[in-house]
Amino acid sequence: MSNKPSKQLIQRAVVIMVVTCIIGFGAGFFGLINAQLINGEKYRQKAEVQQLSDKTINAERGTIYDRNMNILSQSANVWKVYINPSKIKKEEVKVDVTKGLCEILELEYDTVYKKASQSKYGYVSIKTQVENDVKLEVVEFIRANKGYNEIIGIDPDTKRYYPYMTFASTVLGFTGADDTGRSGLEYFYDETLTGVSGRIITAKNALQGDMPTKYESTYDAKQGTSLVLTIDQVIQYYLDKGLERAVTDFDASYGYGIVMDVKTGAILAMSTKPDFDPNEPYEVINPKVLESLEEIQDEEEKKKVLSDARYAQWRNRTISDTYEPGSVFKVVTAAAAIEENLVSDDEMFNCAGNIKIADRTYHCHKRDGHGTENFTQALMNSCNPVFVTVGQRLGVEKFFKYFEAFGFAETTGVDLPAEAAPAANVTYHTANKMGIVELSSSSFGQSFQVSPIQMINAVSAIGNGGKLMRPYIVSSMLDENKNTISVTSPKVKRQVISEKTASKVSEMMEAVATSGTAKNAYVAGYRVAGKTGTSQKLTSRGKYIASFSGFAPTNDPQIAILIVVDEPSSGVYTGGAVAAPVAAEVLEETLKYLNIEPQYTPEELARLDVKTPKLIGRTVPDAVKELKAKGFTVKTIGNGETVLNQTPAYNQVLPKDGLVVLYTDDKKETTKTKVPVLTGMSLAEVNRNAVAAGVNIKISGFTSGSDIVSYRQSVAPDTEVEMGTMVTISFKSNAGVSDLA
Amino acid sequence: MPKTKRKKQEKPNKYLAQGGFDVPFLIIVLILLTIGLVMLFSASYTYAYYNRGQSAFFFKRQLIFAIVGLFVMFVVSKIRYEYFKLLATILLPLSYLLLVVVLIIPPPPGYENFHRWITIPGFGTFQPSEVAKLGLILFLAWSIDKNYKAINSRQLSTAKFAVGFNQNKNSKIKIYSSTTYGLLYLFVIGSMCALVYLENHVSGTVLLFALGVMMLFLAGFDKKWFVIATVFVVVVSAFIILNPDKLPSHASYRINAWLDKDFDPRGVRWQTNQALYAIGSGGFFGAGLGNSKQKHLYVSEPQNDFIFSIVCEELGFVGATVIIILFMLLVWRGFVIAMRAKDRFGALLAMGLVFQVGLQAALNIAVVTDTIPNTGISLPFFSYGGTSLLMLITEMGMVLSISRYSRISKS
Repeated sequence: MSNKPSKQLIQRAVVIMVVTCIIGFGAGFFGLINAQLINGEKYRQKAEVQQLSDKTINAERGTIYDRNMNILSQSANVWKVYINPSKIKKEEVKVDVTKGLCEILELEYDTVYKKASQSKYGYVSIKTQVENDVKLEVVEFIRANKGYNEIIGIDPDTKRYYPYMTFASTVLGFTGADDTGRSGLEYFYDETLTGVSGRIITAKNALQGDMPTKYESTYDAKQGTSLVLTIDQVIQYYLDKGLERAVTDFDASYGYGIVMDVKTGAILAMSTKPDFDPNEPYEVINPKVLESLEEIQDEEEKKKVLSDARYAQWRNRTISDTYEPGSVFKVVTAAAAIEENLVSDDEMFNCAGNIKIADRTYHCHKRDGHGTENFTQALMNSCNPVFVTVGQRLGVEKFFKYFEAFGFAETTGVDLPAEAAPAANVTYHTANKMGIVELSSSSFGQSFQVSPIQMINAVSAIGNGGKLMRPYIVSSMLDENKNTISVTSPKVKRQVISEKTASKVSEMMEAVATSGTAKNAYVAGYRVAGKTGTSQKLTSRGKYIASFSGFAPTNDPQIAILIVVDEPSSGVYTGGAVAAPVAAEVLEETLKYLNIEPQYTPEELARLDVKTPKLIGRTVPDAVKELKAKGFTVKTIGNGETVLNQTPAYNQVLPKDGLVVLYTDDKKETTKTKVPVLTGMSLAEVNRNAVAAGVNIKISGFTSGSDIVSYRQSVAPDTEVEMGTMVTISFKSNAGVSDLA
Repeated sequence: MPKTKRKKQEKPNKYLAQGGFDVPFLIIVLILLTIGLVMLFSASYTYAYYNRGQSAFFFKRQLIFAIVGLFVMFVVSKIRYEYFKLLATILLPLSYLLLVVVLIIPPPPGYENFHRWITIPGFGTFQPSEVAKLGLILFLAWSIDKNYKAINSRQLSTAKFAVGFNQNKNSKIKIYSSTTYGLLYLFVIGSMCALVYLENHVSGTVLLFALGVMMLFLAGFDKKWFVIATVFVVVVSAFIILNPDKLPSHASYRINAWLDKDFDPRGVRWQTNQALYAIGSGGFFGAGLGNSKQKHLYVSEPQNDFIFSIVCEELGFVGATVIIILFMLLVWRGFVIAMRAKDRFGALLAMGLVFQVGLQAALNIAVVTDTIPNTGISLPFFSYGGTSLLMLITEMGMVLSISRYSRISKS
């Protein structure tokens, strides 16, 4: 028998070989064609998507500067902590990671545990905007535990910082966690500030490690554009301080104000108090609200009130609120009447205390009437019947023409968000819907609403020779290298009244601020023009809005100001008593800061401040002689022959009759004295008490009349100070400042 | 002594094989082995770096086994293949022993459900199923050769249980020798498949079964049985595909993952998807040697069962096709050696060995391209595994030994 492979065996072997090759390899080959050629492109794209890590590089948000390049808002690099839950294999590791992160990042255990349990995911964010010191703690935690570097990761993140806290917060606004603006300038200029995110596309292995074959394309991030504001940090500070005091002193719900460059419409300061800290925008800081919050028991209601309070504190009331301007508006009526030649200089009006129009009687705030008065006196007295009369002369058409021309029927176009838009026949009367009654009340600023920015812009137009400007707050934009890429040029909207009319009205307003209802806005050495207003709130009886608007110096107006005190409830509530003193303080500090040359009246010159000479080292008789010659009062302490020390020191500004103390003994201690009570007094009384106590006084505010009274002293009574220390005393007048319609 | 020397050259040596081996077969083996080693290094270095701390970890080990294997191959090719019959009688019981032992000893950590490996300390691991495949091929080749005539004639069985039937004149049942042998072989194949299946090793079971059936087909059993067997396999496959839940969970997941391309993409389906992404990324001409991106930890364990996907990505459709053709050439040349073998045992053994390599390669490529469910089957000459490479090359040595006596032209 042959042992050789039989024919049958060979036949069957061929069958097997063919079957193996055709079915076996055929199937594989078919699969290969399918996966590599037919669907290859699809798979290749999917592979690419997972291999390429597309990392976004956040463009750094632009900085916001004040006009002197002080940083008001800036982004800084912080960190974001994330975990890779797919790398957590053991329960005890999960618990430990959760515990550790909760402790360092101050988070709730359950929330983090839930995140750590998402084992299908490779990237779960735990906390954003982590500060550097906290991040270092996380790094330490990762280092201390083996294998945690695969579980916990840290990515760069950015955070917005506002170095001056509440400073101009309603103007600047704030950004959310996603680095986008939520309110204020941050919101309005969000796109400009944001810049363009960059991308890094790199090939990564499945563990996000680097591949040996370098593939990387980078698209650089373009840093956001920076804004330079017209806001001046110093003026803003003066305004903030004044408004904060007003809110406290008069127990008001809000105080808001604007300081504007008359010639350009640039906003130098804009503030609403109380406001918020944009670093912690969700924290309510208004003490009144906090108090009421504590009283609420119901959680739901508490939540709602808290949410309302947040929106309330973010609100820029100078832009978004509207109010009845009241008597301040009389300057507009006056300007219109003078422009239309409806009132002559020597015309005399008679106020009997009321005026009857149609079926209504309009009372003057002075019920027994102002008697005979000219137009300037009518404005000084804020006399309603006269303005009703003048309004009648203008008629509906002309009145509305000027109402529109001064910009009350349109938004000012200021570059800030949420400007209140006037609505025809809702917030104001249009000519065709304005009857004689509406005309009459509108003439003295009632029955319509304006926004604070509209009001100051109109008043500023009078100071600007009749040119109405478009107010603006961003003066220029800078690229990342601080190169200026655009500059805002002031824009004249229109000539509303002639220059002649404007200067006439300005003079009338100066009279108001010198001896009229706005005399508390008087600033020694500066010619202030202004008008006060007090309006009763329509929504709640017995609540008022006190306001003052004006500009200075009258002969060459530089800055305009508007101060509104919302719901003063300490007893006084008129614009003259409440808003004008605030305006005076802000104006005085601002004008001096801006180095605007003072123009003193002879009376003011008499009290003019003198600088102290250098006396140390000189002989006592010599020093006394010089001091006496300059008008100072001298007090010598000790029996030495030469001056060893002096209070006030060299080059300090003192009133002409101020006290200079000379020390001649080498005893180290100086002579102390207690500051006396210096408020609620006349100028003479203040002087007397100050000299008696051995302190110097500096006078601020309105001091020209006989009815002035001191209302604030810069050093509290009973404070122990060196003899000769300077105490600033603020004066105001409480008589003839009522303008309530 | 030159005299004795001459004598020995003239007279056929009792132990050593004579004549030249088949060079084309050796060349194909060496080409596949070389490409396999290069591709193993390329595919594994990132994985090795991340998991073993050194890029060449897998390559070095594989290279050592390949060199040792080549040495063993030449030694084995010098052995007269008749002596492999002795091995058949030893290897079959040893295979059973190992298949039972592997079920008893604890599996390596991380593979608690898979009793596939036996660890030899200081050497590595090996799969008893690999030994069993060789054992089965050797046993069947030896036994079929010995009983070929009995199987292929209508000769009554002399087996004890059959004699009773056959001697009883009244009995209508006559038991032929072919039936007894058929039942014996089916028992051997079936029991081995059962043991491997118990390892949770479906692919090993399928391979053993296919090898056994092929050997039986070559043995000359009636064709109708194979038609029946084919129908049976088709029905079982269809049943499994329609009811994957009837299988053990690890296998049913894989069938579900094959049927539903969106099944558990980060789990069961991950490896297949990543392999497809790799193949797709390769395109027609490939990314170039060493330039695979998918091997960077996307394709999990790219040095093992899914190494072909990296081959496709780096060498492209062209390279992959060349490798498939090389495997087909190996099968073809192996069968040529077998068909022209000096005797039936040589033919059966060579066919069994080459078929095993061919079938495994074909199944692996089908798995990697998602043509069939993922069964965990390695690619011969390419996939990492020292002992299995050593065995593979040794088996190729056996084929070379057979080729020395084949009636083919030798260069």
